[in-house]
Amino acid sequence: MSYVLQYGQVWPYLPRLLEGALLSIQIAVLAFSGGLLIGTACAAVKSFGPRWAVAAVGVYVTFFVNTPQLVQIYFLYFVLPDSGILLSSYNAVLLGMTLNAGAYLTEIQRAGFESSRRSEIEAAEVLGFSRLQQIRYVILPHVARVLFPPLSNHFIIMTLGTSMASVFGVEELTGEALNVNALTFRSVEVFTITAGIYVVLTLVASTLLALFGRYAFRVRTRAA
Amino acid sequence: MFSQIASEWPDFATYYNMLFLAQAAGTTLALSALGVVLGSLLGLALAVTRTTRGRLLAPLRTLAFTFTEIFRRVPFLVTLMLAFFVFQMFFADTSLFVVAAVTTTLIAAAFLSEIIRGGLNSVHPNQWEAAAAMNFSLLQTIRHVVLPQAWRIILPPAFGFFVLFIKDTALASQIGVVELTYAGKVLNNKGFSPALAFGAILIIYFLISYPLARLGAALEARLASSRHHRS
Repeated sequence: MSYVLQYGQVWPYLPRLLEGALLSIQIAVLAFSGGLLIGTACAAVKSFGPRWAVAAVGVYVTFFVNTPQLVQIYFLYFVLPDSGILLSSYNAVLLGMTLNAGAYLTEIQRAGFESSRRSEIEAAEVLGFSRLQQIRYVILPHVARVLFPPLSNHFIIMTLGTSMASVFGVEELTGEALNVNALTFRSVEVFTITAGIYVVLTLVASTLLALFGRYAFRVRTRAA
Repeated sequence: MFSQIASEWPDFATYYNMLFLAQAAGTTLALSALGVVLGSLLGLALAVTRTTRGRLLAPLRTLAFTFTEIFRRVPFLVTLMLAFFVFQMFFADTSLFVVAAVTTTLIAAAFLSEIIRGGLNSVHPNQWEAAAAMNFSLLQTIRHVVLPQAWRIILPPAFGFFVLFIKDTALASQIGVVELTYAGKVLNNKGFSPALAFGAILIIYFLISYPLARLGAALEARLASSRHHRS
Protein backbone atom coordinates (compact mmCIF):
# COMPACT_ATOMS: atom_id res chain seq x y z
CA MET A 1 0.00 0.00 0.00
CA SER A 2 2.90 2.33 0.62
CA TYR A 3 4.06 2.00 -2.98
CA VAL A 4 4.48 5.32 -4.75
CA LEU A 5 4.53 5.31 -8.54
CA GLN A 6 7.66 6.99 -9.86
CA TYR A 7 7.65 7.22 -13.61
CA GLY A 8 10.57 9.66 -13.52
CA GLN A 9 13.01 6.82 -13.00
CA VAL A 10 11.75 4.94 -16.03
CA TRP A 11 11.40 7.66 -18.68
CA PRO A 12 15.18 7.84 -19.35
CA TYR A 13 14.94 4.24 -20.56
CA LEU A 14 12.22 5.04 -23.10
CA PRO A 15 14.65 4.98 -26.08
CA ARG A 16 15.62 1.43 -25.10
CA LEU A 17 12.01 0.36 -25.04
CA LEU A 18 11.39 1.99 -28.40
CA GLU A 19 14.40 0.19 -29.86
CA GLY A 20 12.86 -2.99 -28.56
CA ALA A 21 9.59 -2.04 -30.22
CA LEU A 22 11.42 -1.77 -33.55
CA LEU A 23 12.71 -5.30 -33.12
CA SER A 24 9.17 -6.46 -32.26
CA ILE A 25 7.89 -4.96 -35.51
CA GLN A 26 10.77 -6.56 -37.40
CA ILE A 27 9.98 -10.02 -36.00
CA ALA A 28 6.27 -9.59 -36.69
CA VAL A 29 6.85 -8.44 -40.29
CA LEU A 30 9.38 -11.20 -41.07
CA ALA A 31 7.34 -13.98 -39.48
CA PHE A 32 4.16 -12.73 -41.12
CA SER A 33 5.78 -12.55 -44.57
CA GLY A 34 7.25 -16.03 -44.17
CA GLY A 35 3.94 -17.31 -42.88
CA LEU A 36 2.14 -15.71 -45.82
CA LEU A 37 4.42 -17.53 -48.27
CA ILE A 38 3.91 -20.87 -46.51
CA GLY A 39 0.20 -20.20 -46.11
CA THR A 40 -0.30 -19.31 -49.77
CA ALA A 41 1.62 -22.38 -50.93
CA CYS A 42 -0.24 -24.67 -48.52
CA ALA A 43 -3.64 -23.19 -49.35
CA ALA A 44 -2.90 -23.68 -53.08
CA VAL A 45 -1.87 -27.29 -52.37
CA LYS A 46 -5.05 -27.84 -50.35
CA SER A 47 -7.18 -26.54 -53.21
CA PHE A 48 -5.38 -28.02 -56.24
CA GLY A 49 -2.71 -30.47 -55.01
CA PRO A 50 -2.52 -34.27 -55.16
CA ARG A 51 -4.20 -36.18 -52.36
CA TRP A 52 -1.03 -37.08 -50.42
CA ALA A 53 0.06 -33.42 -50.39
CA VAL A 54 -3.37 -32.35 -49.14
CA ALA A 55 -3.04 -34.86 -46.31
CA ALA A 56 0.48 -33.65 -45.46
CA VAL A 57 -0.65 -30.02 -45.34
CA GLY A 58 -3.63 -31.11 -43.23
CA VAL A 59 -1.33 -32.72 -40.66
CA TYR A 60 0.92 -29.64 -40.55
CA VAL A 61 -1.98 -27.23 -40.12
CA THR A 62 -3.87 -29.37 -37.57
CA PHE A 63 -0.77 -29.87 -35.46
CA PHE A 64 0.37 -26.24 -35.39
CA VAL A 65 -3.11 -24.81 -34.87
CA ASN A 66 -3.84 -27.12 -31.93
CA THR A 67 -0.68 -26.59 -29.88
CA PRO A 68 0.61 -23.42 -28.20
CA GLN A 69 3.12 -21.33 -30.09
CA LEU A 70 5.21 -21.00 -26.92
CA VAL A 71 5.69 -24.77 -26.61
CA GLN A 72 6.41 -25.05 -30.34
CA ILE A 73 9.26 -22.58 -29.93
CA TYR A 74 10.45 -24.40 -26.80
CA PHE A 75 10.57 -27.55 -28.88
CA LEU A 76 12.58 -25.91 -31.69
CA TYR A 77 14.91 -24.19 -29.26
CA PHE A 78 15.68 -27.13 -26.97
CA VAL A 79 15.18 -30.22 -29.13
CA LEU A 80 16.80 -29.31 -32.44
CA PRO A 81 20.27 -28.93 -30.83
CA ASP A 82 20.08 -32.69 -30.09
CA SER A 83 20.01 -33.26 -33.83
CA GLY A 84 22.92 -30.91 -34.34
CA ILE A 85 20.87 -27.90 -35.42
CA LEU A 86 21.77 -24.95 -33.22
CA LEU A 87 19.40 -22.02 -33.50
CA SER A 88 20.03 -18.67 -31.85
CA SER A 89 17.08 -17.60 -29.72
CA TYR A 90 16.14 -14.98 -32.32
CA ASN A 91 16.15 -17.54 -35.13
CA ALA A 92 14.24 -20.10 -33.07
CA VAL A 93 11.53 -17.55 -32.28
CA LEU A 94 11.39 -16.40 -35.89
CA LEU A 95 11.19 -19.97 -37.20
CA GLY A 96 8.55 -20.95 -34.64
CA MET A 97 6.40 -17.90 -35.31
CA THR A 98 6.74 -18.36 -39.08
CA LEU A 99 5.67 -22.01 -38.96
CA ASN A 100 2.81 -21.17 -36.62
CA ALA A 101 1.68 -18.26 -38.80
CA GLY A 102 1.94 -20.49 -41.88
CA ALA A 103 -0.61 -22.88 -40.38
CA TYR A 104 -3.11 -20.19 -39.40
CA LEU A 105 -2.69 -18.31 -42.68
CA THR A 106 -3.29 -21.52 -44.63
CA GLU A 107 -6.67 -21.82 -42.94
CA ILE A 108 -7.53 -18.18 -43.51
CA GLN A 109 -6.48 -18.16 -47.16
CA ARG A 110 -8.22 -21.39 -48.07
CA ALA A 111 -11.48 -19.89 -46.87
CA GLY A 112 -10.68 -16.88 -49.06
CA PHE A 113 -9.93 -18.99 -52.15
CA GLU A 114 -13.19 -20.83 -51.73
CA SER A 115 -15.08 -17.59 -51.57
CA SER A 116 -14.37 -16.75 -55.22
CA ARG A 117 -17.66 -17.62 -56.86
CA ARG A 118 -18.00 -20.16 -59.63
CA SER A 119 -20.42 -17.90 -61.50
CA GLU A 120 -17.92 -15.02 -61.58
CA ILE A 121 -15.28 -17.25 -63.16
CA GLU A 122 -17.77 -18.57 -65.67
CA ALA A 123 -18.79 -15.04 -66.58
CA ALA A 124 -15.12 -14.21 -67.16
CA GLU A 125 -14.76 -17.30 -69.38
CA VAL A 126 -17.79 -16.25 -71.42
CA LEU A 127 -16.27 -12.82 -71.90
CA GLY A 128 -13.19 -14.51 -73.37
CA PHE A 129 -10.76 -13.79 -70.52
CA SER A 130 -7.63 -15.92 -70.62
CA ARG A 131 -6.76 -17.90 -67.49
CA LEU A 132 -4.20 -15.27 -66.42
CA GLN A 133 -6.67 -12.47 -67.07
CA GLN A 134 -9.26 -14.31 -64.99
CA ILE A 135 -6.84 -14.53 -62.10
CA ARG A 136 -5.66 -10.95 -62.50
CA TYR A 137 -9.03 -9.22 -63.01
CA VAL A 138 -11.63 -11.49 -61.44
CA ILE A 139 -10.23 -13.86 -58.84
CA LEU A 140 -7.49 -11.77 -57.19
CA PRO A 141 -9.49 -8.57 -56.62
CA HIS A 142 -12.28 -10.59 -55.09
CA VAL A 143 -10.05 -12.79 -52.95
CA ALA A 144 -7.94 -9.82 -51.83
CA ARG A 145 -11.01 -7.97 -50.63
CA VAL A 146 -12.27 -10.99 -48.70
CA LEU A 147 -8.86 -11.91 -47.30
CA PHE A 148 -7.51 -8.52 -46.35
CA PRO A 149 -9.43 -7.98 -43.07
CA PRO A 150 -8.65 -11.41 -41.52
CA LEU A 151 -5.03 -11.22 -42.69
CA SER A 152 -4.46 -7.78 -41.18
CA ASN A 153 -6.19 -8.99 -38.02
CA HIS A 154 -3.75 -11.88 -37.83
CA PHE A 155 -0.85 -9.50 -38.32
CA ILE A 156 -1.97 -7.57 -35.23
CA ILE A 157 -2.27 -10.83 -33.27
CA MET A 158 1.26 -11.71 -34.37
CA THR A 159 2.61 -8.31 -33.35
CA LEU A 160 1.29 -9.00 -29.85
CA GLY A 161 2.63 -12.56 -30.06
CA THR A 162 6.20 -11.30 -30.53
CA SER A 163 6.25 -10.60 -26.78
CA MET A 164 6.80 -14.36 -26.46
CA ALA A 165 10.32 -13.85 -27.80
CA SER A 166 11.31 -12.32 -24.45
CA VAL A 167 10.94 -15.77 -22.87
CA PHE A 168 13.90 -16.89 -24.97
CA GLY A 169 15.97 -13.82 -24.23
CA VAL A 170 15.34 -11.85 -27.40
CA GLU A 171 15.48 -8.16 -26.51
CA GLU A 172 12.33 -6.96 -28.22
CA LEU A 173 9.85 -4.69 -26.47
CA THR A 174 8.88 -7.09 -23.68
CA GLY A 175 12.47 -8.29 -23.36
CA GLU A 176 13.68 -4.71 -22.95
CA ALA A 177 10.88 -4.11 -20.46
CA LEU A 178 12.20 -7.01 -18.38
CA ASN A 179 15.72 -5.54 -18.65
CA VAL A 180 14.61 -2.07 -17.59
CA ASN A 181 12.58 -3.65 -14.81
CA ALA A 182 15.72 -5.40 -13.57
CA LEU A 183 17.65 -2.12 -13.69
CA THR A 184 15.10 0.12 -11.99
CA PHE A 185 12.81 -2.23 -9.99
CA ARG A 186 9.97 0.06 -11.05
CA SER A 187 7.90 -2.86 -12.28
CA VAL A 188 4.41 -1.39 -12.53
CA GLU A 189 5.74 1.76 -14.17
CA VAL A 190 7.83 -0.16 -16.70
CA PHE A 191 5.02 -2.50 -17.69
CA THR A 192 2.35 0.19 -17.95
CA ILE A 193 4.63 2.14 -20.30
CA THR A 194 5.30 -1.06 -22.24
CA ALA A 195 1.58 -1.80 -22.46
CA GLY A 196 1.04 1.76 -23.70
CA ILE A 197 3.65 1.32 -26.42
CA TYR A 198 1.95 -1.90 -27.57
CA VAL A 199 -1.43 -0.14 -27.68
CA VAL A 200 -0.03 2.74 -29.75
CA LEU A 201 1.90 0.34 -32.00
CA THR A 202 -1.10 -1.85 -32.81
CA LEU A 203 -3.46 1.13 -33.14
CA VAL A 204 -1.14 2.71 -35.71
CA ALA A 205 -0.73 -0.63 -37.49
CA SER A 206 -4.50 -1.31 -37.62
CA THR A 207 -5.21 2.20 -38.87
CA LEU A 208 -2.56 2.03 -41.60
CA LEU A 209 -3.72 -1.44 -42.65
CA ALA A 210 -7.37 -0.35 -42.76
CA LEU A 211 -6.49 2.70 -44.89
CA PHE A 212 -4.32 0.59 -47.20
CA GLY A 213 -7.07 -1.99 -47.54
CA ARG A 214 -9.64 0.62 -48.36
CA TYR A 215 -7.59 2.22 -51.13
CA ALA A 216 -5.85 -0.85 -52.57
CA PHE A 217 -8.63 -3.42 -52.42
CA ARG A 218 -11.75 -1.33 -51.68
CA VAL A 219 -12.28 -3.21 -48.45
CA ARG A 220 -15.39 -1.86 -46.81
CA THR A 221 -14.37 -0.30 -43.51
CA ARG A 222 -15.45 -2.13 -40.43
CA ALA A 223 -16.94 -0.27 -37.53
CA ALA A 224 -13.90 1.10 -35.62
CA MET B 1 16.39 -38.89 -30.70
CA PHE B 2 13.90 -41.78 -30.80
CA SER B 3 16.21 -44.34 -29.19
CA GLN B 4 16.82 -41.83 -26.41
CA ILE B 5 13.11 -41.36 -25.87
CA ALA B 6 12.63 -45.13 -25.86
CA SER B 7 15.31 -45.56 -23.20
CA GLU B 8 13.86 -42.79 -21.03
CA TRP B 9 10.27 -43.90 -21.40
CA PRO B 10 10.16 -46.40 -18.47
CA ASP B 11 11.38 -43.69 -16.07
CA PHE B 12 9.02 -41.15 -17.61
CA ALA B 13 5.81 -43.14 -17.61
CA THR B 14 5.58 -43.49 -13.84
CA TYR B 15 2.42 -43.02 -11.82
CA TYR B 16 3.56 -39.77 -10.21
CA ASN B 17 4.74 -38.21 -13.45
CA MET B 18 1.40 -39.00 -15.06
CA LEU B 19 -0.45 -37.63 -12.03
CA PHE B 20 1.66 -34.47 -12.23
CA LEU B 21 0.88 -34.05 -15.92
CA ALA B 22 -2.83 -34.70 -15.37
CA GLN B 23 -2.96 -32.09 -12.60
CA ALA B 24 -1.08 -29.62 -14.80
CA ALA B 25 -3.54 -30.24 -17.64
CA GLY B 26 -6.35 -29.65 -15.15
CA THR B 27 -4.80 -26.32 -14.17
CA THR B 28 -4.49 -25.29 -17.83
CA LEU B 29 -8.15 -26.15 -18.43
CA ALA B 30 -9.30 -24.48 -15.21
CA LEU B 31 -7.38 -21.33 -16.04
CA SER B 32 -8.87 -21.02 -19.53
CA ALA B 33 -12.40 -22.14 -18.53
CA LEU B 34 -12.47 -19.77 -15.56
CA GLY B 35 -11.23 -16.95 -17.75
CA VAL B 36 -13.82 -17.60 -20.43
CA VAL B 37 -16.78 -18.08 -18.04
CA LEU B 38 -16.04 -15.02 -15.89
CA GLY B 39 -14.85 -13.17 -18.98
CA SER B 40 -18.11 -13.76 -20.82
CA LEU B 41 -20.10 -12.34 -17.88
CA LEU B 42 -17.90 -9.26 -17.75
CA GLY B 43 -17.86 -9.15 -21.55
CA LEU B 44 -21.68 -9.22 -21.66
CA ALA B 45 -21.77 -6.31 -19.22
CA LEU B 46 -19.29 -4.39 -21.39
CA ALA B 47 -21.19 -5.16 -24.59
CA VAL B 48 -24.55 -4.14 -23.09
CA THR B 49 -22.99 -0.94 -21.75
CA ARG B 50 -21.84 -0.09 -25.25
CA THR B 51 -25.33 -0.56 -26.72
CA THR B 52 -26.83 2.07 -24.42
CA ARG B 53 -27.73 5.43 -25.93
CA GLY B 54 -28.35 7.75 -22.97
CA ARG B 55 -26.16 10.82 -22.72
CA LEU B 56 -25.58 10.34 -19.00
CA LEU B 57 -24.04 6.94 -19.67
CA ALA B 58 -21.51 8.32 -22.16
CA PRO B 59 -18.57 8.12 -19.69
CA LEU B 60 -19.43 4.48 -18.98
CA ARG B 61 -19.49 3.73 -22.70
CA THR B 62 -16.12 5.36 -23.14
CA LEU B 63 -14.79 3.34 -20.23
CA ALA B 64 -16.10 0.06 -21.71
CA PHE B 65 -14.66 0.98 -25.12
CA THR B 66 -11.27 1.86 -23.63
CA PHE B 67 -11.19 -1.34 -21.60
CA THR B 68 -11.85 -3.55 -24.64
CA GLU B 69 -9.40 -1.68 -26.85
CA ILE B 70 -6.59 -1.77 -24.30
CA PHE B 71 -6.88 -5.40 -23.28
CA ARG B 72 -7.11 -6.50 -26.90
CA ARG B 73 -3.97 -4.54 -27.77
CA VAL B 74 -1.61 -5.48 -24.95
CA PRO B 75 0.14 -8.86 -25.21
CA PHE B 76 -0.94 -11.59 -22.81
CA LEU B 77 2.55 -11.71 -21.31
CA VAL B 78 2.65 -7.97 -20.57
CA THR B 79 -0.84 -8.00 -19.01
CA LEU B 80 0.25 -10.97 -16.94
CA MET B 81 3.39 -9.18 -15.70
CA LEU B 82 1.38 -6.06 -14.93
CA ALA B 83 -1.24 -8.05 -13.00
CA PHE B 84 1.55 -9.88 -11.20
CA PHE B 85 3.25 -6.68 -10.02
CA VAL B 86 0.01 -4.88 -9.19
CA PHE B 87 -1.00 -7.83 -7.00
CA GLN B 88 2.45 -7.61 -5.39
CA MET B 89 1.74 -3.99 -4.56
CA PHE B 90 -1.58 -4.56 -2.81
CA PHE B 91 -2.13 -8.24 -2.03
CA ALA B 92 1.33 -9.75 -1.98
CA ASP B 93 0.20 -13.17 -0.73
CA THR B 94 -2.27 -13.87 -3.56
CA SER B 95 -1.64 -17.26 -5.14
CA LEU B 96 -0.14 -17.25 -8.62
CA PHE B 97 -3.14 -19.14 -9.97
CA VAL B 98 -5.45 -16.31 -8.91
CA VAL B 99 -3.18 -13.72 -10.54
CA ALA B 100 -3.23 -15.71 -13.77
CA ALA B 101 -7.00 -16.30 -13.55
CA VAL B 102 -7.64 -12.57 -13.09
CA THR B 103 -5.47 -11.89 -16.15
CA THR B 104 -7.26 -14.45 -18.30
CA THR B 105 -10.62 -13.05 -17.15
CA LEU B 106 -9.67 -9.50 -18.11
CA ILE B 107 -8.35 -10.50 -21.53
CA ALA B 108 -11.20 -12.91 -22.27
CA ALA B 109 -13.70 -10.20 -21.26
CA ALA B 110 -12.20 -7.79 -23.79
CA PHE B 111 -12.24 -10.28 -26.67
CA LEU B 112 -15.61 -11.83 -25.78
CA SER B 113 -17.28 -8.44 -25.40
CA GLU B 114 -16.48 -7.78 -29.07
CA ILE B 115 -17.95 -11.16 -30.05
CA ILE B 116 -21.04 -10.56 -27.92
CA ARG B 117 -21.45 -7.04 -29.26
CA GLY B 118 -21.39 -8.46 -32.78
CA GLY B 119 -24.16 -10.86 -31.74
CA LEU B 120 -26.26 -8.12 -30.13
CA ASN B 121 -25.89 -5.95 -33.23
CA SER B 122 -26.98 -8.84 -35.43
CA VAL B 123 -30.49 -8.67 -33.97
CA HIS B 124 -32.62 -6.48 -36.21
CA PRO B 125 -33.23 -2.91 -34.91
CA ASN B 126 -36.99 -3.49 -35.31
CA GLN B 127 -36.81 -6.01 -32.50
CA TRP B 128 -35.13 -3.52 -30.18
CA GLU B 129 -37.69 -0.87 -31.12
CA ALA B 130 -40.62 -3.25 -30.65
CA ALA B 131 -39.33 -4.12 -27.19
CA ALA B 132 -38.89 -0.44 -26.38
CA ALA B 133 -42.43 0.27 -27.59
CA MET B 134 -43.71 -2.42 -25.22
CA ASN B 135 -41.91 -0.61 -22.41
CA PHE B 136 -39.26 -3.29 -21.84
CA SER B 137 -36.32 -2.02 -19.86
CA LEU B 138 -32.85 -2.43 -21.38
CA LEU B 139 -32.11 -5.52 -19.32
CA GLN B 140 -35.51 -7.04 -20.13
CA THR B 141 -34.92 -6.39 -23.81
CA ILE B 142 -31.54 -8.08 -23.66
CA ARG B 143 -32.78 -11.00 -21.59
CA HIS B 144 -36.11 -11.74 -23.31
CA VAL B 145 -35.71 -10.42 -26.84
CA VAL B 146 -32.10 -10.08 -27.92
CA LEU B 147 -30.17 -12.92 -26.26
CA PRO B 148 -32.62 -15.68 -27.30
CA GLN B 149 -31.86 -14.70 -30.90
CA ALA B 150 -28.24 -13.65 -30.58
CA TRP B 151 -26.80 -16.67 -28.77
CA ARG B 152 -26.64 -18.68 -31.99
CA ILE B 153 -24.41 -15.99 -33.49
CA ILE B 154 -22.34 -15.60 -30.33
CA LEU B 155 -21.70 -19.19 -29.33
CA PRO B 156 -19.56 -20.51 -32.25
CA PRO B 157 -16.95 -17.71 -32.26
CA ALA B 158 -16.96 -17.62 -28.45
CA PHE B 159 -16.22 -21.32 -28.36
CA GLY B 160 -13.52 -20.84 -30.98
CA PHE B 161 -12.00 -18.17 -28.77
CA PHE B 162 -12.04 -20.60 -25.82
CA VAL B 163 -10.10 -23.20 -27.85
CA LEU B 164 -7.53 -20.56 -28.90
CA PHE B 165 -7.34 -19.29 -25.36
CA ILE B 166 -6.36 -22.70 -23.94
CA LYS B 167 -3.13 -22.38 -25.89
CA ASP B 168 -2.56 -18.76 -24.86
CA THR B 169 -2.56 -19.76 -21.19
CA ALA B 170 0.80 -21.46 -21.84
CA LEU B 171 2.27 -18.04 -21.03
CA ALA B 172 1.05 -18.32 -17.43
CA SER B 173 4.09 -20.59 -16.95
CA GLN B 174 6.18 -17.42 -17.09
CA ILE B 175 5.00 -16.21 -13.68
CA GLY B 176 5.25 -19.73 -12.25
CA VAL B 177 1.74 -21.17 -12.44
CA VAL B 178 2.16 -24.95 -12.59
CA GLU B 179 0.17 -25.60 -15.76
CA LEU B 180 1.12 -27.81 -18.70
CA THR B 181 3.96 -25.74 -20.13
CA TYR B 182 5.49 -25.29 -16.68
CA ALA B 183 5.15 -29.04 -16.12
CA GLY B 184 7.14 -29.57 -19.31
CA LYS B 185 9.91 -27.33 -17.99
CA VAL B 186 9.88 -29.17 -14.65
CA LEU B 187 10.19 -32.57 -16.35
CA ASN B 188 12.98 -31.22 -18.54
CA ASN B 189 14.78 -29.93 -15.44
CA LYS B 190 14.35 -33.33 -13.80
CA GLY B 191 16.63 -34.67 -16.52
CA PHE B 192 14.32 -35.98 -19.18
CA SER B 193 15.39 -35.00 -22.67
CA PRO B 194 13.61 -31.91 -24.04
CA ALA B 195 12.30 -33.99 -26.94
CA LEU B 196 10.42 -36.23 -24.52
CA ALA B 197 9.32 -33.55 -22.04
CA PHE B 198 8.14 -30.93 -24.54
CA GLY B 199 6.97 -33.60 -27.00
CA ALA B 200 4.67 -35.00 -24.31
CA ILE B 201 3.37 -31.51 -23.52
CA LEU B 202 2.69 -30.79 -27.19
CA ILE B 203 0.75 -34.05 -27.48
CA ILE B 204 -1.34 -33.32 -24.37
CA TYR B 205 -2.21 -29.84 -25.66
CA PHE B 206 -3.17 -31.43 -28.96
CA LEU B 207 -5.36 -34.02 -27.22
CA ILE B 208 -7.18 -31.24 -25.37
CA SER B 209 -7.44 -28.78 -28.21
CA TYR B 210 -8.22 -30.96 -31.23
CA PRO B 211 -11.48 -32.59 -29.94
CA LEU B 212 -12.68 -29.19 -28.69
CA ALA B 213 -11.89 -27.61 -32.06
CA ARG B 214 -13.86 -30.35 -33.83
CA LEU B 215 -16.73 -29.85 -31.38
CA GLY B 216 -16.63 -26.13 -32.13
CA ALA B 217 -16.76 -26.77 -35.87
CA ALA B 218 -19.72 -29.13 -35.44
CA LEU B 219 -21.46 -26.58 -33.23
CA GLU B 220 -20.93 -23.90 -35.84
CA ALA B 221 -22.25 -26.06 -38.68
CA ARG B 222 -25.30 -27.03 -36.64
CA LEU B 223 -26.20 -23.55 -35.45
CA ALA B 224 -25.54 -22.03 -38.86
CA SER B 225 -27.80 -24.55 -40.58
CA SER B 226 -30.61 -24.16 -38.04
CA ARG B 227 -30.39 -20.42 -38.49
CA HIS B 228 -30.62 -20.91 -42.21
CA HIS B 229 -33.81 -22.97 -41.99
CA ARG B 230 -35.56 -20.42 -39.84
CA SER B 231 -35.05 -17.42 -42.02
